[in-house]
Amino acid sequence: MTQKKKFKPWLYLMPALLLIIIVIVFPVLFTGYISMTDMSLYHWNDYHIIGFQNYARALFKADSGFLEALLVTILWTAVNMVIQLAAGFFIALGLNARGLRWKRLYKTLLMVPWAMPAYISILLWRVGMFNPEFGVLNKLLSLFSPGKVDFLSNNVAAFCSCMVLNLWMALPFMITTIDGALQSIDRSLYESVTLDGAGFWAKIKYITLPSIKPIIAPAAVMTTFITFKQFDIIFLLTQQRGYKTGATLNTVITYAYQNAFVSNNYGLSSAVSMLLFVLIILFSLFTNRSLREN
Amino acid sequence: MTSGKKRSARRKGRLILLNIIFIILCLVTLVPVFYALNVSFSGKEAALSGSLSLLPKSPTLDNYKTILVDEPFLLWLKNSLILSLGTIAISMLCAVPAAYAVSRWRFRGRQATLRVLLVLNAFPQILSMFALFRVLKILGLLNSHFGLIIIYAGSMCVFGIWNLKGYFDTIPVEIEEASKIDGANDAQMIMRIVLPLAKPAIIVTCVMVLITVWNEYLFATTFLLDSSTYSLAGGLYQLQSNDYSRSWPVFTAASVIASVPLLIIFFAVQKHMESGLTAGGVKG
Repeated sequence: MTQKKKFKPWLYLMPALLLIIIVIVFPVLFTGYISMTDMSLYHWNDYHIIGFQNYARALFKADSGFLEALLVTILWTAVNMVIQLAAGFFIALGLNARGLRWKRLYKTLLMVPWAMPAYISILLWRVGMFNPEFGVLNKLLSLFSPGKVDFLSNNVAAFCSCMVLNLWMALPFMITTIDGALQSIDRSLYESVTLDGAGFWAKIKYITLPSIKPIIAPAAVMTTFITFKQFDIIFLLTQQRGYKTGATLNTVITYAYQNAFVSNNYGLSSAVSMLLFVLIILFSLFTNRSLREN
Repeated sequence: MTSGKKRSARRKGRLILLNIIFIILCLVTLVPVFYALNVSFSGKEAALSGSLSLLPKSPTLDNYKTILVDEPFLLWLKNSLILSLGTIAISMLCAVPAAYAVSRWRFRGRQATLRVLLVLNAFPQILSMFALFRVLKILGLLNSHFGLIIIYAGSMCVFGIWNLKGYFDTIPVEIEEASKIDGANDAQMIMRIVLPLAKPAIIVTCVMVLITVWNEYLFATTFLLDSSTYSLAGGLYQLQSNDYSRSWPVFTAASVIASVPLLIIFFAVQKHMESGLTAGGVKG
């Protein structure tokens, strides 16, 4: 009986574990193996084990571009998160203003970018908004001044354009989360400090923010991961084969992809992937612990 | 008296201002959607001209006809359905019993399993895409829907276990014990008692899987090499990357058709979204 009890959970877990081991764990281990070789287009089958040379190249050779991509990724994640949290907070606050009659309508319309398929949104933005010839943004600009702006032609412009698009796509989730958190605050808390003569900002600082923090924290952590891992926006806007825009912007994820599927440098790409994997494990263990302590 | 009136006037002013801000915000948000609708109903020249118009000058359904008749849109749609339903079936068959086990029983290795699953959930699959490519090639599963379904199902299974476990945790054990006394075995009890109770979470999880597979283009275009096996996302991605100046209006029509079902599903399940998703949470 006890023997049976010991095995039963594993019996239930078996199909899932088998699937996960085949599809996720094994490829990760295989990536680890490839990272130790000089596998490339020219060494597809006759590759050699070269130890940690790929790691050394990624980490210590400035021209490999990995460290630069890492810096860009950190900047990308930080700037996006700050703007997203701030904008999401004020929009949600506005939605919760007393007497706003069309709240449901506004909320529904603001959710549309979340519901749209991401790749379709990005491709629509690439040609429909950012295109220098017939994008809407340039058409609008041409009303005020002649001359066309190429929003994706250099790294700074491309970074900002990608960020605007990321905000457009990610804000609905943030607004929903913060809106839900705001509604869970007990209204009587506000009334008691209003009597004490507290103003708008004081209320936000002493009641709103502390109350919503525990609810927002897990969502913020999740969004941080998603922002860090963001691939589609940068890839589809600036790096599609045949439509290079002139920007050489890379985050770590697009960097790993470029090295594997464009420059066919499989060893280096795998080494970068393993480094990122370690980074993500550390980060997720760290955030998980601090979340649980809260 | 007068100060009260003044205050209510100020409040009215603030509300009007807030409404104006939200109307502008909504309009700005919807510009790309208006744009797609506009171009999809316009003729070929109008779409790429420099003019800025709110409504198509000579509305036409030509682009919709082109995508539905001349392009293999319906074939892609069928492939997308096969891929999504296959992924949902395999990932849920694996995830439901696993989530039930980690939610109901305390056994040695449970914590470790959960922790590993959490880490794997954070791992972006793109990073092992090349390794997957080689594995599929060796197994002869490149260019097959089955190979792609297995890959999707693996990552969706991790997500499913986490999401369903959180929901199973909220179902009281007493309900199950009552049915055990009636003589039902484990499998019967899960089918008859637990699954019906967990319906919201299962629906939300299935919808999330559906949306993910429906929108996935990168693995689809990397692992499927023949355009007749493409999914909708892969096909549309290919369509715009081949020659977008020619096919751009057609692409916008296709994106309207591809987005509408998702918008409907999204808003239909949005109410359950919060309860069905956040229950999964990050709790260990």
